Amino acid sequence: MTPRAKRSLGLFARYATILGLLAMVAAFAWLSPRAFPTLNNFTNVLNQASLALIIAAGLTLAVIVGELDLSIGFAASLHGILVTGLIVANELPIPAAILIVLAVGALIGLINGLIVTKIKVNSVIATLGVGTILTGLAFAYTSGVPIVSGVPEAFLQLSLGRWLYGVPNDIVVMALVVGGLWVLVERTGVGQEIQAAGGNPEAARLAGIDVDRIKILGFVISGVCAALTGILLASRLGSGTASAGDSYLLTAFAAVFLGSATLRDGEFHVLGTLIGALIIAFAFNGLNIFGAPTYSQYILQGTILIVAVGLSSLGRSIAER
Amino acid sequence: MSLELHAGEVHGLVGANGAGKSTLIRVLAGLTQPDRGHITLDGHPVEIATPHHATALGMSFIHQELTFVPGMTVLQNIMLGLPKRSRLGIVDWRAIARDVAPVAARVGIAAPLFASVKGLAAAEYWLINICRALIRKARLIVMDEPTASLSTAEGERLFAIVGELTRSGVAVLYVSHRLDEILRLCRRVTAFRDGRSVAQLAGGELTRAALVGAIVGGAVEPTARTAAPSREGKVVLRVVDLSRRPRVDGVSLSLHRGEVLGVGGLVGAGRTELARLIYGADRPDGGTMVLAGVPFAPRHPTAAVRAGLGLVPEERRAEGLLLRKSVAFNLQLANLARITRGPLIDAARRRTSSLAVVRDLAIKSPSLDAPVGRLSGGNQQKVVIGRWLLRSPQVLILDEPTRGVDVGARGEIHRLIRALAEKGMAVLVISSEADELPDLCDRVLVMAEGRVVRELDGAAITRNAIIEASYAKAA
Repeated sequence: MTPRAKRSLGLFARYATILGLLAMVAAFAWLSPRAFPTLNNFTNVLNQASLALIIAAGLTLAVIVGELDLSIGFAASLHGILVTGLIVANELPIPAAILIVLAVGALIGLINGLIVTKIKVNSVIATLGVGTILTGLAFAYTSGVPIVSGVPEAFLQLSLGRWLYGVPNDIVVMALVVGGLWVLVERTGVGQEIQAAGGNPEAARLAGIDVDRIKILGFVISGVCAALTGILLASRLGSGTASAGDSYLLTAFAAVFLGSATLRDGEFHVLGTLIGALIIAFAFNGLNIFGAPTYSQYILQGTILIVAVGLSSLGRSIAER
Repeated sequence: MSLELHAGEVHGLVGANGAGKSTLIRVLAGLTQPDRGHITLDGHPVEIATPHHATALGMSFIHQELTFVPGMTVLQNIMLGLPKRSRLGIVDWRAIARDVAPVAARVGIAAPLFASVKGLAAAEYWLINICRALIRKARLIVMDEPTASLSTAEGERLFAIVGELTRSGVAVLYVSHRLDEILRLCRRVTAFRDGRSVAQLAGGELTRAALVGAIVGGAVEPTARTAAPSREGKVVLRVVDLSRRPRVDGVSLSLHRGEVLGVGGLVGAGRTELARLIYGADRPDGGTMVLAGVPFAPRHPTAAVRAGLGLVPEERRAEGLLLRKSVAFNLQLANLARITRGPLIDAARRRTSSLAVVRDLAIKSPSLDAPVGRLSGGNQQKVVIGRWLLRSPQVLILDEPTRGVDVGARGEIHRLIRALAEKGMAVLVISSEADELPDLCDRVLVMAEGRVVRELDGAAITRNAIIEASYAKAA
């Protein structure tokens, strides 16, 4: 390929996802001018996307430090059960239950990180194993029966409530998480170490960075974000169900990989994940508005995942030239 | 260069680092095409286009790093890439074993053919490779530093097998830095220098002195450095009996404030390994260190950096830089504590300190935000060095600081290293280029086979003295 063709291909790959998002929104607005382009619907899409975005933003940290975290979906399911159980069965105050669950999320991340860095188990296997164990624990805790009765109204309001100007709480939490993690990665000293640990672990190590500690931090952040999504999901559903959060795994991966193809030639970054998650959310919203059958959602989900990873590695190969 | 090889002979190939031995091997193996000249095999001119072609011509290569599939059996590894007998499309391992067994017995493979290769000694790997070469009916086997990872006893076995091979008419091209082996095994030896075959020695001409003479060359001795003798500053780092056998074996040294200490020797002498031990990148199995009067045993490079060490690693691109990240990112990697205010990076401080280094080191880069991978080798190396300037460690270790760097940048890097020492830093420079150390160092240690075999001081530091000592037998 000539350098010039490569450059323009690079440019295209960098902006393809954003162009895709804009084109999709425009197309839906044109096809469904009354239902789609309304403030209400956009708020709704963003609200729907918030939980996936929180977990995807956390996953972004894990992939930036160079690891994969497959435990997040299963962890979110367990956290949903745990938080409702603590509130309903153990009658803990809501804030205490939330803090405990966030701590458990951090602990799961810590365990993932220790297995990967100290025992040196490949992160795909380690987190898949941990995630499976978490699923087992979730079923053990509920005996397979969802916790539905006795969930207090105040807990439901956590997700259903609205902030100033009527912005849904979920969107507010999502904005704080995404904004916070963006600052962490892009604007702090630790963030430079996070980027270095994933970019070239050996160079980072020889520059004096404690790569293992940074990788563990990546897993802990991913774990806490999974807990946050699990809590908000339980609040939204009004119940703790043993596999409610599982499907966030694929959505989060698709968002993260779509995001890595955005603006930065296959590098993972928080802002990219935000754009990736919005693309997925709008695509599903469009399907709903046009009344597409349920099976088409699976087909779309799988297609997006493959296209996302393909774009991401295309970006990388262009950057390496 | 030219070289002639006869059936049934062991032909030695010697030369200093970078003399062109590896390039010759690459040409023979079909990995590189020659600019000029020709190769004849059994009197017929041949062009070796690909590695596959080289194999078909009956050549077999045994490299320093051996290629293995760890999970497979001895037999499967021997047969790797070779056509296998099969019955009804199913590989008949028992029939193959019957064919291979006599060859394996001949080279002395002790492990059962159906045993896993896991846990075999390095020598056993060699035997497997030789066995593979024989089954291919190789007529020429090229061995590149075969004893680098072997113990003495394992080496003896290898020598016996080489003798056995030649009696059956196989030619062996034996490349080694170890002159004792060359003298013992080879009837004829070709010496390389600066890409040319400078001498062909045989029979009575084959002496250690003659070999060293041919490797060093009668070249005019570069004028010794006239600089001041090594300052006897205070000792910053003292290393006593540091070991990680077999690569580093009881090294002691002391590094003074304001001194540039060179470590010379051949590739594989254990210099990089020594640097990694001092820096905490590998764990020693013996010995102690004292840094600025305090016992020093870093468990991790993080600890070494905190204690005041810096390392410019040998493999700049793999170990030194994040190629896709910006110049500023790479410069500030070890300096983050000083450019942050609370947890946040102070963008202005980051920019001014980065710019200062870029200016001081004359790093040529379109901007601070340009990916460091786009810079030239010399400028990339300056970025790695600049990283440590920002931190000003007490001890800076530079491993091959000018490898792959153009002449201009090389001079600049040398001046920079001297300037750092003037300011009181203690600098340890590892270099395989014997020309580099005399220009740069106050003192030079020469390593061979994991040990320090000679210390050179002041005017005694010459290119020839370093090369000669490199071939010294370890005491």
